[in-house]
Amino acid sequence: MSLLLQSLVLGVLLGGLYALLAAGLTLYFGVMRVVMIAHSAFLILAAYLAWFWTTETGIDPMVSLLWTVPLFFVTGVLIQRLLISRLRPATLTMMSVLLTFAVALVIEGTLGFVFTGTQRRVQLPYGGADISIGGVNIAVVKLIAFGLAAASLLALYLLLTRTKFGQALRATIQHPEAARLVGINTERTAGYGFGLGLATAAIGGTALSLDSTIYPSLHWHWIGPLMAIIVVGGLGSIPGAAIAAMVLGVGQSLLQIPLGTTWAQTFFYIALFATLMIRPQGFFGGRLAQRF
Amino acid sequence: MKVPTSLRITALAVAGSLALTGCISSGDSGGGGGDDDTISIGISLPLTGDYSEPGKGVQQGYEAWAAWMNENGGLLGKEVELTILDDQSSADRVAADYEKLINSDGVDLIFGPFSTRLVVPAAQVAQDYGFLFVEPAGAAPEVFTQGFDNLFYAAPAVADDHYDYLADHIEAMPPAQRPKTAAYAAMDDPFAMGTAYGLKARLEEMGVKTVVDEVYPPNTTDFSSIAAKVADSNADIMVGGTQYQDAVNLILALQQLDYQPAMAAFSTAPTNPEFPEAIGDKTEGILSPTGYTPDATYPSNKEFVEFYTAEYGDPPGEDQANAWTTGQVVAAAVEAVDCADPDPECQQQLIDWLHENEVETVVGPLTWDSEGRPQGAHMIQQYVDGKIRIVLPEDQAEAEFIAVKPPW
Amino acid sequence: MPSASDTRTADTGAAAAHAGRRDPRGVVPTIVKAVALVLLAAAIVAFPSVAANPFILSVGVVIMSYAVLATGWNFMGGFTGYMSLGHAAYAGLGGYSTALLIVKAELNPWVALALGALITAVIAVPVGIASLRVRGASFVIVSIAFVLILLLVFQSWGGFTGGSNGLRIPRPFGPEVLRPEQHERFFYIHAALLAVALLLWWLIDRSRFGIGLKAIREDEDKAQALGVPTFQYKLVAFVLSAFFTALGGGVYALWFGFLDPVFQFSILIGSYMVLMSLLGGIRSLFGPALGALIVGYAVEFFKSEYGDTQFHLVATGLLLGIVVLFMPDGIIPGVTGLLRRFRPQASSIREVTQAELAEQRAGGAHTGTDSSGGDSTGGATRAPDPQVTEGVHP
Repeated sequence: MSLLLQSLVLGVLLGGLYALLAAGLTLYFGVMRVVMIAHSAFLILAAYLAWFWTTETGIDPMVSLLWTVPLFFVTGVLIQRLLISRLRPATLTMMSVLLTFAVALVIEGTLGFVFTGTQRRVQLPYGGADISIGGVNIAVVKLIAFGLAAASLLALYLLLTRTKFGQALRATIQHPEAARLVGINTERTAGYGFGLGLATAAIGGTALSLDSTIYPSLHWHWIGPLMAIIVVGGLGSIPGAAIAAMVLGVGQSLLQIPLGTTWAQTFFYIALFATLMIRPQGFFGGRLAQRF
Repeated sequence: MKVPTSLRITALAVAGSLALTGCISSGDSGGGGGDDDTISIGISLPLTGDYSEPGKGVQQGYEAWAAWMNENGGLLGKEVELTILDDQSSADRVAADYEKLINSDGVDLIFGPFSTRLVVPAAQVAQDYGFLFVEPAGAAPEVFTQGFDNLFYAAPAVADDHYDYLADHIEAMPPAQRPKTAAYAAMDDPFAMGTAYGLKARLEEMGVKTVVDEVYPPNTTDFSSIAAKVADSNADIMVGGTQYQDAVNLILALQQLDYQPAMAAFSTAPTNPEFPEAIGDKTEGILSPTGYTPDATYPSNKEFVEFYTAEYGDPPGEDQANAWTTGQVVAAAVEAVDCADPDPECQQQLIDWLHENEVETVVGPLTWDSEGRPQGAHMIQQYVDGKIRIVLPEDQAEAEFIAVKPPW
Repeated sequence: MPSASDTRTADTGAAAAHAGRRDPRGVVPTIVKAVALVLLAAAIVAFPSVAANPFILSVGVVIMSYAVLATGWNFMGGFTGYMSLGHAAYAGLGGYSTALLIVKAELNPWVALALGALITAVIAVPVGIASLRVRGASFVIVSIAFVLILLLVFQSWGGFTGGSNGLRIPRPFGPEVLRPEQHERFFYIHAALLAVALLLWWLIDRSRFGIGLKAIREDEDKAQALGVPTFQYKLVAFVLSAFFTALGGGVYALWFGFLDPVFQFSILIGSYMVLMSLLGGIRSLFGPALGALIVGYAVEFFKSEYGDTQFHLVATGLLLGIVVLFMPDGIIPGVTGLLRRFRPQASSIREVTQAELAEQRAGGAHTGTDSSGGDSTGGATRAPDPQVTEGVHP
């Protein structure tokens, strides 16, 4: 019983991080119809920057958010402006996959070049600390990571629903042509949307660095589950991605008890295939996912 | 117009690359086998990619060995020259590298690559060309069942024998003090699984109950669920068949769940100099098998440690020692049969000699069975007072074995 | 957002690179083509005897294998424009099923190879059905997910697949065939396989089926509206592509003699197939093979010159990025387009000018220009069905 409860808690904590990262990934797709393969490469890059920051200055990795988030936001806008927008609209989805794939390779190669393939881990005084509630142990670092993810998701939600920019962004996602007609600069909005997506990678990467050993090729192990999540949630749907992330994260964690680690990892992909067979537009997506 | 143009371009490219193929092979490896004053040795190592971390250690060991040989009269009186290629941690590349070293660079001898997963494809190439293949890193039991008669592992023991001394020690305990239950978590990797399952077989024989037996893929990043299972079982002994990063993650995940076993053993990671830094001050009592210690009293070890420390600043680790051992083993065979050239006859003589003789190395005297398994055993190390020390076997112990691990 | 407006075709898809292909003088004597083909074939046949040593020969085998895989990939990528990043899955499945049929069922290696490719094709059917029901984005995601899932399955199912210990494949030729001789034989086997794949690609390119596929690539909505059974067409192309990729993977496995899930089911291998095809030109018959030659050679060259740094990943990434941004149609169309600039009547950026189209309609479709083979749209212009022609080039 306590194992079940413990796994449930771990699943929720993991799901929170997945939710934030998947929200970013689905945001790119929403605003630009781009499958951003490099999302997880940027995630690892942010983790490396957090690690580098802490090793060099000795200051907590979370402080690095102060500069990585703006940096990633600007990078995102630039990627959209300088790279993605150059692609032909007709082949945008396919070519953007290849282009962002190329970006991922460059990031991985550069990380290996600069920091070598050595596995790194941030040293934290509270790295192994835990809080025990009702027979369940919760690691402090996981709790911080979850809190960071939850707070960012909430901020993203408020930004999208309560601000003028959020309205413009949602309009761009739902119907770019109509959005243009009512005077929204969809190009600029899309750029900011891209920047927001990349900012989630910066936050996620910092959260990841608290509780994980990092190495340059780690990003391949993240992109698969994340992409499965956004398809299950419905491409372009941010709430869909967040809910799917939570469901799949908890599911994986619980399935691990009877099935073992390896087969539990296939859960994401089985969910992906099942979604495409039963409901190809995803469980929360609408028109968008159907067409792409 | 289309076809001819594209055909012409393709044909041009074919012709161009035919002409250029020379470039790939010639390169900077001029001092090949034809040279009478040098013995060139070809090696492929994972200098980049997933196995690059330990691959670098092996490279340092090889380079130190070559430098030492040249300072001490060389091999058969000739200068030793290493050609090291990067296999990018890929099986396709490692085979291509040995193909290149043997055919194109014309090396006289070859040394093995790093990582079990790369040893088999490389050994195949070596066997096809009749080369002696001494390797520093393919410890998994499966390496030796592939029918390679040219392969020798230059370390004391294969993976499943790594924990032999620990198993002996537990067996010698009074039954009441022995652990009752055991939890195993191993990476899905021939070497890592070999170590954990070697100990598992011994413990099960003496009646230690297996309560958790988890295998996780190499790409696992989240260990909290595995840790939850282990913690839930509350096993007396925790055995990790691990490489590096997985051990660190697993140990931290176990600490986070406040699991306190009486014994905790992990392969590979604890011997890594960065391990205590990664775990913090919670290493006390962690066990690990090792094939090498700089403090060993074998005759050649002293000069190795001195030379290596002077060269690199730090004493050598296990990877460096295995590489140096590889050099020693091949050198012993070469000196004994007095030849070092790619001719299959010479290579066969080297192979035959190693099957029949014992070689003194920095990890002790080594002999091999007909399939290349070394016939020694690994020592057991433990973190005692914050430092990793040999604790088993007792006649080589540097510190007292801590039977009940303090809480981490 | 594809719309019915006809002005877009000019700046989308294939059109741009295939400037003025209807050169009135451009009926090239078949003899020139034949000579070029014979020369190419002769160069390939002669390669093993001019290769300086077995290493060069083995590089040749690898490049030939790349060419087979990339051409196999191009059955899907080139015809339909659906870019799979996970074709390593089918090469790996081909290799593994061949190997397992030899090791477990003790079949003849060549029977195992054919059967293995068939099994892979059968496996590809449900994957295709799942991923082709929706448009490109899901297809790419599934293609990557499929590689990752196979990696997990082949690793975990150790009792059957050998798992992380790998799987050694006995040699198809006896021990008396030495390694250099093996290289030579496998070079020719790969070359023969490549020839078959190219021939089939060429035939499809000229067929009605091929026209339908290319219509999907240019504008799937319109193709569907015009009655092309898009789903079935895509599925057939996909399964065919998986079949040839599996054959390529199987032959390579027989040559290499060792399989390990980590190296078989690697996204990087799949991305190489895409890079090679794109670099050479996915609309061209010889594009993927040319791309394979360039990439295969460049890999060796960079490794021998700048061997021991992580830079090879950066180089691959940059090359892919540059190709996608500046040369999405590949080298062959790029160079051909460049050559064409110096020829008369090369002003229109359309593949078929309005005037020509009108003439074509009036004159009953055929003008007899044989322009097939290297070019996608060549086939389309020869379409006996004016409706389809219009669908592709409104």
